[in-house]
Amino acid sequence: MKLFLGWFYPQLMSTYGDRGNIIALSYWAKILGIDLEVCPISLNDPYEKILKMDILFMGGAQDKQQEIVSKDLKNGKSKALKKAIEAGVSGLFVCGAYQFLGRYYKAADGTKIPGLSIFDLYTENPGESFPRLIGDIGIKTKIAKDEIVVGFENHGGRTYLSNKNLAFGEVIFGFGNNGKDKTEGIFYKNTIGTYLHGPILPKNPKVTFFLLEKAIERKYKRKILVKEFDEEWEKQAREIVIRNNRDR
Amino acid sequence: MVFYLSIILGKLVAFLSYILKIGAGSTWPGHLALIFDKNFLKKIFKKNPHLQTIVVTGTNGKTTTVALLKYLLEKKGYQVFTNKEGANLLNGIASSLIKNANFLGKIEKQVAIFEADEFNFSLIIKEFSPNIVLILNLFRDQLDRYGEVNTIASRWFLALKKLWPKTLVFLNGDDPNLYYLGKNISSFVFYFGLEKSKMPYKNLPFDVDFNYCPVCFNLLSYQKVAYSHLGSFFCQKCGFHQENIFTLSLKNIPFSLFGVYNQYNLTAAFLVLIKGFNFDLKKVSDFVKDFKPAFGRQEKIIYKNRIFYLLLSKNPAGFNQSIEAVTSYFKGQKKFFWLILNNRIPDGRDVSWIFDVEFKKIVFLAKKIFVSGDRAFDMAIRLKYELTNSKKKIIPLIDLKKTLKKILEETKENEAIFVFPNYSAMLEVRKLLVGKKFL
Repeated sequence: MKLFLGWFYPQLMSTYGDRGNIIALSYWAKILGIDLEVCPISLNDPYEKILKMDILFMGGAQDKQQEIVSKDLKNGKSKALKKAIEAGVSGLFVCGAYQFLGRYYKAADGTKIPGLSIFDLYTENPGESFPRLIGDIGIKTKIAKDEIVVGFENHGGRTYLSNKNLAFGEVIFGFGNNGKDKTEGIFYKNTIGTYLHGPILPKNPKVTFFLLEKAIERKYKRKILVKEFDEEWEKQAREIVIRNNRDR
Repeated sequence: MVFYLSIILGKLVAFLSYILKIGAGSTWPGHLALIFDKNFLKKIFKKNPHLQTIVVTGTNGKTTTVALLKYLLEKKGYQVFTNKEGANLLNGIASSLIKNANFLGKIEKQVAIFEADEFNFSLIIKEFSPNIVLILNLFRDQLDRYGEVNTIASRWFLALKKLWPKTLVFLNGDDPNLYYLGKNISSFVFYFGLEKSKMPYKNLPFDVDFNYCPVCFNLLSYQKVAYSHLGSFFCQKCGFHQENIFTLSLKNIPFSLFGVYNQYNLTAAFLVLIKGFNFDLKKVSDFVKDFKPAFGRQEKIIYKNRIFYLLLSKNPAGFNQSIEAVTSYFKGQKKFFWLILNNRIPDGRDVSWIFDVEFKKIVFLAKKIFVSGDRAFDMAIRLKYELTNSKKKIIPLIDLKKTLKKILEETKENEAIFVFPNYSAMLEVRKLLVGKKFL
């Protein structure tokens, strides 16, 4: 079974170790006997490339890099991306990429940057006098029912969902979308938008499996259910973070 | 009058904390002096016009380069002091000045070298214009604490623009971000870099932080890459490129520290000494032979007849350089590694950055990899994901003492263990191996 993983702008959108998500997907694909080919989607690449992918991933970056990328996404790429997500492709969009997919981002100085409007949400940065939302985060999700998905968040923008039921998770500790309504990220079709770095996939294999399972299901009309696997260290890594944040 | 009182008070506090062994002698005297007299620094520099000041910053290599500059200047007969013990804030600087001044505020030594972290650097040079500013590099490090690379660079830029015009500014010309910064300030700027023949790569790795053209925002092209985004770069679209980069053409300089990153530190120090102190290149090369590394920077420690090499590795660029240095310098047989990852306040709380480090080489080369520290299991997963069969080589144990015991069981006498700790982990493991606390 072969899958194509489209990695958006690896050279520009990869500031917070989010490349770890690619490493985790590749590792577990190999264990599960899936031939996963990682295909970078870079500046000036044709938009048709996006439509061939089974899994899509984009990480976060600094403002300047995001500016460069947002120009490139205008040319056909955003339409292709929307089409893929609506069609149920597996997707993971972290931090800056997550904000991108909303309706708009209002920067700290008040300028409004339009997003791709794939997710029904918007993000506002309340300004320099408000602290960034930084720290460990733990959430409850539908994907990994009996455990806490753990990561690290670091964002200035506050994101608001039009429909809170679409949240990817419920905040157990940490800030989440906006530090107020206990929602974290968005879960739309088979695509996840989230603020979780850490990176998210290595410590939370259930989320990794979800992306792989859905991609196989869509392409090969086959179910692979990962039941038994060795995640002793991943569990320990999660538990350490949970323990450190028990009293928050 | 306030000035003299500040000095007396500062000296008194330093004396008391020494006698009472409070151990805060490196920052409190300066802290108090600055409370009493806001213009304390300006005044003490004015009183000592002969004193040459150097401020060194950058993400990696500060401690080594400061030690190297001090060592080489002393070899030539200068009397030098630094802001010791990692107290690299204004308080630490003021304290070191008080310590080296007499009761009238006169300093006999001729050169002061101050190490400043990325965040405090701009605050410090706003406070006073040094004779020399040296910026080694700028990589991502502790994003949750210092902020993103571009935020730091723009803060530096604003501070550098306000410098006294006679300040000599030395910048890493192989870093496109810093090179461009130098083109837009009015001070005298000198650039250091490496010769292309010393740059090992053709393509950019993953731990880059600045790979687009600062003029037109096109992606940059590289003829060769030294490490991270350092290399010989140019822009195919607008023609932006490097000029007038000082490199060391001398072969076989007897420098005890290995790795490309130390070649940059060496070149930077040489350029500062040649342009700022009229050193002769040949002579300075002879001097460098006996230089010993600073704490934890390729430091060699013998413990129970095993050889431990400590290589401080606290961010992606630094870690990749440590791995590169060990694997190319110590070729051949399989090795033991000990990776220690903490996430305490001085380390940054976020450990995501380990996924921007290239571990494949050490997983291949390892006989065993011991993994410890508060976040040992994050590191263990990182290593496990490198190769599907690498798990059996990896031994995660949070506790350092237990790990050390295990290492002694698994290794024979005279075997080498390469230790890669991040900052607080380095202090911890060093204490364990040397048996006493430093700082």
